Amino acid sequence: MFYSILFTTQEQHRAPRQTETPACFKDLNLDQIFTPILESKKKFELESFFYTALHDPEIIIYRQNVMRELEDDKLCALFTEFSKTVYDLGQYMNKIRSSLNSKDIWHNNYLTRGQMLDCADRYCRAISALSDGLSKLTLYSAGLRNFAEYLSAYCASEGYTELHSHVKRLRDKLSTVEYCMLIKNGTIRVRKYERQADHSKQILAIFDKFRQGNVKDYRHELPEEPHATHVEAAVLDMVAELYKDIFAVLNDFCSKYFHFEDETILRFSREIQFYLSWLDYIRPLRGAGLPFNYPKLCNTAEHLYNLDMYDLALAATAQEKIVTNNFELNAPEHIIVVTGPNQGGKTTFARAFGQVHFLASLGLCVPGREAALYMFDDIFTHFGREEDLSTLNGKLADDLVRLHELLSKSTSRSVIIINEIFASTTLSDALSLGGHMMDAISTLEVPALVVTFLDELASYGSNTVSMMSTVKEENPSQRTYKIIRKPPDGLAYAMYIAGEHGLTYEKLSRRLGR
Amino acid sequence: MKAYLMFCDRDFDIKTELCFGKETLTADLELKHILANMAQDDKAIHDACEAALFRPLQSTEEIEYRQKNLYDALQNPDTVRQLYEITVKTENKRRSSLYWLSSANLSSTFSSAIELLKIYTEMLMELRLVADSKLSSFQSYGFRNLLTMLQRELDDDYFAEVRAHLNNLKDDKGTLISATLGNYLQGVGYVLRQNNRKGFWRRWFFAPSFTIAERDHAGVTDLGKRRDRAINEVTNALAQAAEHLESFFAMLRSELAFYVGCLNLADSLQTLGMPICIPSLLPSDSKDRYCRRLYDVSLALTKNTVVVGNELDTTAKQLYLITGANQGGKTTFLRSLGQAQLMAQSGMFVGADDFFAPIRRGVFSHFKKEEDNAMKSGKLDEELARMSEIADHLEEGALMLFNESFASSNEREGSEICRQITQALVENGVEVFSVTHLYTYATAFLGDKNTQYLRAQRLENGERNFKLVPGEPLQTAFGEDLYQKFFGQSEVSERDR
Repeated sequence: MFYSILFTTQEQHRAPRQTETPACFKDLNLDQIFTPILESKKKFELESFFYTALHDPEIIIYRQNVMRELEDDKLCALFTEFSKTVYDLGQYMNKIRSSLNSKDIWHNNYLTRGQMLDCADRYCRAISALSDGLSKLTLYSAGLRNFAEYLSAYCASEGYTELHSHVKRLRDKLSTVEYCMLIKNGTIRVRKYERQADHSKQILAIFDKFRQGNVKDYRHELPEEPHATHVEAAVLDMVAELYKDIFAVLNDFCSKYFHFEDETILRFSREIQFYLSWLDYIRPLRGAGLPFNYPKLCNTAEHLYNLDMYDLALAATAQEKIVTNNFELNAPEHIIVVTGPNQGGKTTFARAFGQVHFLASLGLCVPGREAALYMFDDIFTHFGREEDLSTLNGKLADDLVRLHELLSKSTSRSVIIINEIFASTTLSDALSLGGHMMDAISTLEVPALVVTFLDELASYGSNTVSMMSTVKEENPSQRTYKIIRKPPDGLAYAMYIAGEHGLTYEKLSRRLGR
Repeated sequence: MKAYLMFCDRDFDIKTELCFGKETLTADLELKHILANMAQDDKAIHDACEAALFRPLQSTEEIEYRQKNLYDALQNPDTVRQLYEITVKTENKRRSSLYWLSSANLSSTFSSAIELLKIYTEMLMELRLVADSKLSSFQSYGFRNLLTMLQRELDDDYFAEVRAHLNNLKDDKGTLISATLGNYLQGVGYVLRQNNRKGFWRRWFFAPSFTIAERDHAGVTDLGKRRDRAINEVTNALAQAAEHLESFFAMLRSELAFYVGCLNLADSLQTLGMPICIPSLLPSDSKDRYCRRLYDVSLALTKNTVVVGNELDTTAKQLYLITGANQGGKTTFLRSLGQAQLMAQSGMFVGADDFFAPIRRGVFSHFKKEEDNAMKSGKLDEELARMSEIADHLEEGALMLFNESFASSNEREGSEICRQITQALVENGVEVFSVTHLYTYATAFLGDKNTQYLRAQRLENGERNFKLVPGEPLQTAFGEDLYQKFFGQSEVSERDR
């Protein structure tokens, strides 16, 4: 029996999920990836699904298969339309039901019943459209196949078919109603329409002879929505007096179909957005030729790799071409130390490494051509941060406090990413503190990535892989953004860059001597 | 009618552009705490003080004009607050009156405009009463000028004329509209119908009816929307008169707001037992600085306690190199100096016992930042890009504050970049304060007569007292003390896992 498109069983679905942004999001720019997704899908409340890393490979594979299937554009469009419509209807119906349960005519009136009829109408149309669409297709993933079976059984059920025909009958009757309002001194009177002449037309006709060329259009854009629903409801009440039979049928409908929506279908309409929103997000990137893959998930760190990995947050914003990089760890290697000139893509590489791990744990496809990634219990990051007056700690102290916290929380199943710390102290201090740090990571034996300006850390030991951001040989000020396995060479090209910004002594003097 | 409290000859327009780097200065110098304290949750005060801070005055005359008004305000705090309160009260009355001038709702705009004009008249009277009773206790040109103007200019002719324009919008026969049912049974397809048939009223008299309740604003609005929306021009004149008066009060409020902000901050600092002084500004070609107990106002406010101040007494210095222990008060000193410079040039008092400084052609800060989250490039590139942008705005006589800039490369290269930039700035007449850990850079100016070295103190027992003293750079920043403090003797490897 189908229960959820995100979990294979009801029990898994009930397990508590994380509702707060995970700590690593800011450093890894995962917030930049997820914020636009969550913002654009705010009403679906997908936060807990995107914030909760899974530790069960079975669920991850269930999700990977559903997502793979949804990459079919036709199928994707079908579910997108359905999900939006049905989820909104579900939300709307909750409001309507609480109105219809109230004794207060302010909420409980013919207008509310009209809204319910409209919801039921749109619900039936959405269900029919989806079931027609799916009947022409063959589905493969366990998740979607089970859902389609559930849906077709539902469509054939007596409850649903009756609802459908009832709605249609009622619509036909209501389309025959036509009435007139007379508004005067704060009072509205209502009667059936009696073929009175169209006044506006007459007035327009009288002044038509004065028309000269084009004039500005002074008409307001006015929606055909009542401003005050209670006034509209009062008018409708009077209309109901004039058309008693038709409105009696409406009342019967509302009590009979008070709960017409199916709970499993509503749950599906929300949860399918987890996949759809992700596919929406990566679609333009895929279009630009960036690779995504469904990674293998490893319980040990024996052999981890990702080919053509890149920083997804950067790819989503960058106009320039994205450079991809590989990483590979073969036991006993478990620490990647990245050195090399600034602006060579070191931080980007570190973020990408963290991102792909987190994304993989959600069952999403991840940036890269082919990957085997670690099933972690948590990701810990430490990136340089602005001094914050309220902590009254210096930058170095802040670095150490955070590093200490990170190392004490980390288990042997964690992933650690450290980016350019100890930058606020002298070279000699940074070296001794960096050594302490490497000892600690080494002892933990976890997959780790360390970005540093300290070349010495790259040759720490046999568990360390040295990688470097590289430059073009013919022009050292040009970056390639390629991070490759090689020992550090101690070169940085800071003065080149200073020159590019017009900030060498000569260039700056010229600028200031204006 | 002009208040002219901020300039002797023109309006204080808070909407004109603020100086370059406002966001950066606010963050680097922690100005938000100062502004928040001045504003006390009043946005108008916040905006006025922000506008004053970020448009530093360039002439001693303009600065002194404000200083005299400020001195007057400090002598008459209750009256200044009272005048300001009247402007606030006016705005609150306007807001809570439920009268608003919106083009969306014409029939209510008509009656609102009349009611608003009544409110403004009443409040103008209150202003005039204050002027009548308090004029004699003010000395400054700015405040005397304002109060005499209130006495002279205010009469009610303006409003009498407006009232003469009243008109009634008659709804004599009613409006007849036909409709059909929309998707959720709302009326759609409205058509205005003629209602001049014979026997019309006889037929309609007994029709079901609904009357809008007296207090039902939404209902009234709804009918207004149902009825004709064609009568646009009728209430225009009244609404504009009300709007002119609204602008007058807003202008008066923002001119007074700066002084009330100063009073608020002065109160807070005096409660903490921290000194304030009206600074002396020297001409911009001066290179002398003198201050006693110059402290970080923002720090005093956030810690809510007495904080350490610093002394400076220098002649003909152009470069200040500040080194020494982490958490030794270097950044704090840099902030206190930047804050005081901006406050002094906005006409405010400063947080010090004494403060003499040259007028500066702008204050610029370049503080080390966290990893650039825009990801366009790495840290050094981001730092250089920021510096390059600053360089576009720097000119002779500017004040430049560096806080651990260009430390994102390694020490040797960071030092070289820093040295070259600093030297170019100093030679082109920019005054530079630079906090640095880059030893190679810091020692590059030893022996230069225009350079003043300062160092964060570290006492014998390793404690810091947050005071800066003249002193040349030492070789280490004591990172190992900190390591011992946070990691102690415990070996990471011995923890149970």
